[in-house]
Amino acid sequence: MNVSSPAFTEFRHSLANLAGNPQETGMSDDERLARARSTFIAKLNRRTAVDMETCIHCGMCAEACHFYIATEDERYTPAYKIDPLRRFYRREVSPLRLLYRPITRKMDLDELKEWSELVYEACTGCGRCDMMCPMGINISEGINIMREGLAAAGLVPDELNALQAEQRQSNSLFGVGAAELKAVAAELAQHGTMLPLDKESADILVLTTAVEVRLFPEAIAACAKVMEKSGADWTISTEAFEASNLGLITGDKTALRAAFKRVSAKAKEIGAATVIVPESGHAYQALRWESANALGEELAFEVLAISEYIARTIKAGSLKLKPATEIKSVTYHDPCRLGRQGGVFDEPREALQAMGLDLRETASNRRENLCCGGGCGEYAISHGAPIRQKAFELKKHELDDTQADAVVTGCNNCRINLMIGAEETGWDMPVVSLVETVASNLAE
Amino acid sequence: MTLLDFARGPALQWSLIILVTGIIWRIVGALLLSSRKDLSVARRKSGLNDGLGAIATRSLPAHTFEKRIRFQHVTGYAWHLALFVTVLFFGPHILFFESLLGFSWPALPNGIVLFSAAVALAILIALLIRRANHPVQKLISNADDYISVILCILPLLTGILAFAHIGGRYETLLAIHLLSIEALFIWFPFGKLMHSAMTFPARFQAGTSFGRKGIKA
Repeated sequence: MNVSSPAFTEFRHSLANLAGNPQETGMSDDERLARARSTFIAKLNRRTAVDMETCIHCGMCAEACHFYIATEDERYTPAYKIDPLRRFYRREVSPLRLLYRPITRKMDLDELKEWSELVYEACTGCGRCDMMCPMGINISEGINIMREGLAAAGLVPDELNALQAEQRQSNSLFGVGAAELKAVAAELAQHGTMLPLDKESADILVLTTAVEVRLFPEAIAACAKVMEKSGADWTISTEAFEASNLGLITGDKTALRAAFKRVSAKAKEIGAATVIVPESGHAYQALRWESANALGEELAFEVLAISEYIARTIKAGSLKLKPATEIKSVTYHDPCRLGRQGGVFDEPREALQAMGLDLRETASNRRENLCCGGGCGEYAISHGAPIRQKAFELKKHELDDTQADAVVTGCNNCRINLMIGAEETGWDMPVVSLVETVASNLAE
Repeated sequence: MTLLDFARGPALQWSLIILVTGIIWRIVGALLLSSRKDLSVARRKSGLNDGLGAIATRSLPAHTFEKRIRFQHVTGYAWHLALFVTVLFFGPHILFFESLLGFSWPALPNGIVLFSAAVALAILIALLIRRANHPVQKLISNADDYISVILCILPLLTGILAFAHIGGRYETLLAIHLLSIEALFIWFPFGKLMHSAMTFPARFQAGTSFGRKGIKA
């Protein structure tokens, strides 16, 4: 897949049209505000209280944010992005709330509308500021709560709202449902790759995403080759294949739980002990770290990123790789929600090194990695394009400085955003998927 | 009752009562909020080591971000160090602590303490000017940010004036110095100076929550 392919052009066209059908919430302004307030109150717990109490307004978090670094617009300071939440906490929840109330103003809807831009367009929830804060404040958790409050108030950007409505109403994304997955499976079968769809029982349930079905079917084929080569008993379910969870991105917890329930129920039904998440950072964070809490129970299965599965099977000796020949040197882009928010740093690197590739790290890497600029749904928001492009330039410079033959990543959303950046700027470093690189170098 | 008697007597007692009660109220109030158990399966067991590790290392300067935050780091370290030297190693301060605690420790020469007080004062004034002018800090600052810095400046300034006998009778200068400290005590639990207590649970929970995901906080 490259930027000149018709599928990519068509995908970008569909992104541009997402905002065309704004969803009406049918809520009055008072109702919106009340819903945001009750969401904030429900989400402000001991952990967030400690964070809210501790900020000293030093502003250092700005120096971690790719949007601030790229634009020097002070409104993109992470602490400022969660300022309404902090003020709400002080006035409504904090131990000193009775003292603060007479001297602070109530949260209003205009304020929330203004912050919608800062929280959705100017924040990818990458969490780099979490690593910078000298107090140890989890700012991205504050962003999540802001998004939940805004989602409750019906203030999600139209593009994300459209995607979420589609997932809620028809269990599809970008027009991709069971029929489209079956069509891709039929096409892959013609090229010799069989997808074991809808097995009644399997050890491993493998998920994919609408983006892969529509844009990167070669990633699905690569995943299939890896699973077969490692001797796994696996399946993909046409009823519960979607790993993407718009609820995590928008903050709509009802949508979040609904998506989890589909996957969890299917895994239980077929007796899967493991669920594998494809190359999607937010899908990994959602299922691996958020789903049990959203469902209120521990998961009955293990969740692995495909890169974790690859590294595990390489170590176990069931997957053998040969030296890569098409490219010699690579740099690895840590997807924020897989790495900094998910803890998967070593496994992709172990896979790359198992193919004898010269791994060249960017100046910022692992927990301090720079975001691609388009994560957490940002790349779908049309208004965000100018600052997204500037943030991409930061990333591009770091990638170029490695002088690697290609950049490998483990997230389709990062891949798309890097490809959009490449198309906009004429950047020519190949952007490749980890699982596709591995599948191309399986030892006989 | 002279001004000095007032500063040494009821003003000190009440400011300490407000300080201690306020700190306990604010910490306990925050920690008493509900907290749900994380039901996700930890990548590795995390606990005391991760929490204490984050407390110890969160503000160490050696990382990728350093070149963008050098000014804040250097001034942050220098200000806190100079403050501790001034407060803890000035002879008359040690006598005051001894009257409260019943034990003492060696003092540093007055010249060194005076120098650190001057450094601390200069840094605070520089940070105050920066806060009022730097676009990021100006935007995110509220009254608390300015009040807290000014209330830290006043004890340093009045202390230096009292030490140097500049601006009035020594007893009056000393009383004003004590009253400025008591104003700081009274404000302490209500503003951001509370970070000196809250940073420990904040860093600790950052260490454990990232630690269970296998990430160094």
